[in-house]
Amino acid sequence: MHTIMPPDKNPFILIDPEKCSGCRLCEMACAMLHTGRCSPKHSRIRILSFDGASSHMPLLCQACEQAPCIKCCPMNARGRTAEGAVVTDPDRCIGCRACLYICPFATPAVDPDTGKTMTCDLCADDGTGPWCVKACRDCGALKVSEAREVVARKCRGGAEIAKHAFKKPTLRETP
Amino acid sequence: MKVLIVGNGIAGNEVAFSLRKARMDLDITIVSAERFPEYDPCSLPYFIGRDVPRQTVFRKTWDDYRSHRINLLLEQRVMSIDPEARHATTEKGLTLGYDRLVLAHGGSLFIPPIAGIDTPGVHSCKQLSEADRLDQSSGSAAVVIGSGAIGIEAGEALKKRGYEVTVIELLDWILPALFDPESSRRLEESLQRCGIRVLTSEKVLAIEGAERVSAVVTDKRRIPCDTVVIATGVVPGKALAQTAGIEVQRGIRVNEHLQTSAPGIFACGDCVETVDACTGEDAMFQLKHNALEQAQVVARNILGVTSAYPGAWAFARAHFFDTHAVTFGKTTRATQCELGQLEIIERDEGPDYLRVIVKEGLVVGGQAIGKFADFIGLFMGAMWRKDAIPSIRQNWPLIARSGSIYPWTTRKLGELIGLKS
Repeated sequence: MHTIMPPDKNPFILIDPEKCSGCRLCEMACAMLHTGRCSPKHSRIRILSFDGASSHMPLLCQACEQAPCIKCCPMNARGRTAEGAVVTDPDRCIGCRACLYICPFATPAVDPDTGKTMTCDLCADDGTGPWCVKACRDCGALKVSEAREVVARKCRGGAEIAKHAFKKPTLRETP
Repeated sequence: MKVLIVGNGIAGNEVAFSLRKARMDLDITIVSAERFPEYDPCSLPYFIGRDVPRQTVFRKTWDDYRSHRINLLLEQRVMSIDPEARHATTEKGLTLGYDRLVLAHGGSLFIPPIAGIDTPGVHSCKQLSEADRLDQSSGSAAVVIGSGAIGIEAGEALKKRGYEVTVIELLDWILPALFDPESSRRLEESLQRCGIRVLTSEKVLAIEGAERVSAVVTDKRRIPCDTVVIATGVVPGKALAQTAGIEVQRGIRVNEHLQTSAPGIFACGDCVETVDACTGEDAMFQLKHNALEQAQVVARNILGVTSAYPGAWAFARAHFFDTHAVTFGKTTRATQCELGQLEIIERDEGPDYLRVIVKEGLVVGGQAIGKFADFIGLFMGAMWRKDAIPSIRQNWPLIARSGSIYPWTTRKLGELIGLKS
């Protein structure tokens, strides 16, 4: 039985597009783990390049809390795993791409051999952590994170902003 | 508290299982007119086309009901409700008391008034028992009456089974509720390329045959066939609510908490009329994701957590053989009778087609075929956020090209509507 809400302490992959150099090693690593071939077409992570390849955006399933793809799949092939990832069950998938079309980030990748969709499963079968993150060690654009870490960082950032906003201006600072 | 749910469909089950997940002490009963555990009507054509085995259409097993302690009354139809005394009566004469009643019985197939509609060999694809019958019958030539999503999918399934398939549509283009004529023509061409005959602007007058269907007569021709599939849409089931004195219009009327006009009675799924989440107009989108969302809202309200339903949204895809198409929001036809300046953004590159309907600068709908369909989610996001297309055009050189708040969705959207970097 799949649940709609993810478990509280699930890891996910945090993306920092600013650090992405567009080297596409992550695509290679992903395809290597899942198919045993160095074929970026079989990768579940994709790099979208803009403005003549001057900026890049890694596209990866965000495992939304209220994932619309789970609701829209006509075959109920999309479901959440125990790790919190949202994946396609290839035995049920008919390749209609409803999950790709409803996705706000267009992340599900289409398997060129079968036409079925596939998304990030956080390399759950491997046990050593996501391979794309390991491949991205040099750039550091991909990082394994937990929800509470991100929340803590955001809170600290917010507090920093609030500190400046509510600080009484001293005589020297007033113009 | 006793909760009685009418209908064992997607909405009814979602209510029952959400309630059970939250509370162990509720007495939950589902009354079903059918004799199967919950199944998904969207997947029936794929099972007929043998894309997937029959067991994949089921969303629940008998064990799920047992382990969640949900009582099932199968092959029983609720015939009347007494909102004063708070009990419902089934056609077998069983009286069921309730504290909260959920009407989730969905709709029934619209049977067009055609002579010979009850001839053997006339099938439909709405319920699993009907799909089973279609699956077990054999033949060589099929006519599908109606070209909605189910009609097209059933046509594809029968083609895969080796039938000669003809799809007949009364209106001028196929998938009339979902696509504009410009996109429909392309889908029509790809259907014809795959060997499915498509006849539009044609009215079926009669179905001929005594022992078995022998032909379908339209106002233009006579089509010999041995199988007919009726796919003319679904009408919401409102008779039960109407006889109980509950307010109905096109469907059962509900407020923002999905309560009907009678106290203690909720409604969700294909039988209700709600609002469009984006425009706030009255709307009925009989789609699965809406049923699921409505059911979750009903479950929360029954549990005493007052929560409002934001509204239904239209999203559908059409997929046959190697063609992939998607539509969301309103079609041009639906916006034509409204005030406001309409702009249509079109991109046409061979087999790939994109059509975005912009009203007063805001995206209100769109359709896409082929590679453009992959990024249609960005336009849906723009519709939800109410991003103004003129301001994206105007500010295009100023939109950040990198940085930690890089608006890549806006940049990709700009590229798709033809802005050059």
